[in-house]
Amino acid sequence: MADILSETVLPEDLKKFEKIYHQQLYKNDVTPKAQFEYAWCLVRSKYPADIQKGIVLLEELYKTHEEGQRDYLYYLAIGNARLKAYTTALKYVRSFLILEPGNQQVLSLEQNIKKKLEKEGIVGILTAGGVVLAVGAIVGVGMAIAKAK
Amino acid sequence: MSAGPYNYSYIFKYIIIGDMGVGKSCLLHQFTEKKFMADCPHTIGVEFGTRIIEVSGQKIKLQIWDTAGQERFRAVTRSYYRGAAGALMVYDITRRSTYNHLSSWLTDTRNLTNPSTVIFLIGNKCDLEAQRDVTYEEASKFAEENGLLFVEASAKTGDNVEEAFLETAKKIYQSIQDGRLDLNAAESGVQHKPSQPGRNNLSNDQQANKDNCAC
Repeated sequence: MADILSETVLPEDLKKFEKIYHQQLYKNDVTPKAQFEYAWCLVRSKYPADIQKGIVLLEELYKTHEEGQRDYLYYLAIGNARLKAYTTALKYVRSFLILEPGNQQVLSLEQNIKKKLEKEGIVGILTAGGVVLAVGAIVGVGMAIAKAK
Repeated sequence: MSAGPYNYSYIFKYIIIGDMGVGKSCLLHQFTEKKFMADCPHTIGVEFGTRIIEVSGQKIKLQIWDTAGQERFRAVTRSYYRGAAGALMVYDITRRSTYNHLSSWLTDTRNLTNPSTVIFLIGNKCDLEAQRDVTYEEASKFAEENGLLFVEASAKTGDNVEEAFLETAKKIYQSIQDGRLDLNAAESGVQHKPSQPGRNNLSNDQQANKDNCAC
C-alpha cells in the first residue's frame, strides 16, 4: 500500500507478463498489448534495472504504436520518476499536457514528482548549510581573536 | 501531529472497478476533492487517491485505487484487487451494457479478493433520470441476491457519493470489531497503526522513522 510512485509489482505478476512477452518474442511476433503489459510491470519493479528495461520497451512502443501513445507517455514519466530522473519525467509529463491540458491524472502525477524533487532537493540545501556552518566557524574564530586582543 | 506518528489508526485499501465511462474517476474525485470533473478523460492504468475519514471515533485513512475501465488495461489492473478491504463496483444507470457486465466484474472481485472484502454496488449518474436504462428495483434485487451493498449515486451532484465510501468503511470496521477480519493477514487490506509503542511491526516503524526524519 502506498502511492503511484512507490507501489511495487508482485514478483509473480512480473513473471506472468514476462513469460507472455518472451513467448511472443520467441515467435518474433510481439503484440503492443503484451509489450505494454510487461513494460507496465517492469516500471513498477523495485529493481532499477527492471525499470530501465521497462523504459526501453515503452520508448519503442511510443515510436511504433501511435494508438497507445498517451499510455506510454504516462508510464515513461512514472518509470523515470522512479529512477529519480525527475527532469526527464517532467519532460514526459509536459509532452502529455500539451496533448491533453488539464488531465487531472497527469496533473496530479506532475505534482507528485515535483514534491519528490523538492523533498530530495533538501539534500542540496543541507550541503549549502555546511558552507554556512564553515563561514560561521571562521567568523567565530575571528571574534575570538578580536576578543583576545 | 498528535499522539503517535500517525493521525489515523487504520488504513483501508479500496478499489473502484467497472466498465469504462461509468464515472469511476469522477466518483473518486467527488469524494476526495468534493468537486465534479466535467471533462473526464479515460484513466490510464490506475489512479490513486486518499482521504482520512472517521468511523466510530476512529480516524481511518482510505487508500483508493481507481482502475481504468478500458479492456486493454484489465489484465494488469487485476493485480490491484489483491488485498482490497473494499471494492466499489460501478455501473451507469443510463447504459444497460455496463450493468450487464457486472457479473463478470463480480466474478473477478470474488476470485481476486478475500471473503471478507466488502463489495459496494454503485449505480452512477442517477441525476440523468430521463435517460435511465436500468431500474432501481432490478439493480437492488441483483445486489441482494449477491450479498452486495447498493446505492444509486451521482458524481455530478455528489448525491450518495460520500455515503457509499463511508458505508463501506463502516462495514469493514464492523468486520474488524466482530473479529471476522484478521488484521494480521497480508491480504486483509487493512493496516492497524496503533499509537502505543511496541505494537508496531517492523515495516511500520521504518515508515514512521522516515516520516519523522527531518533530513
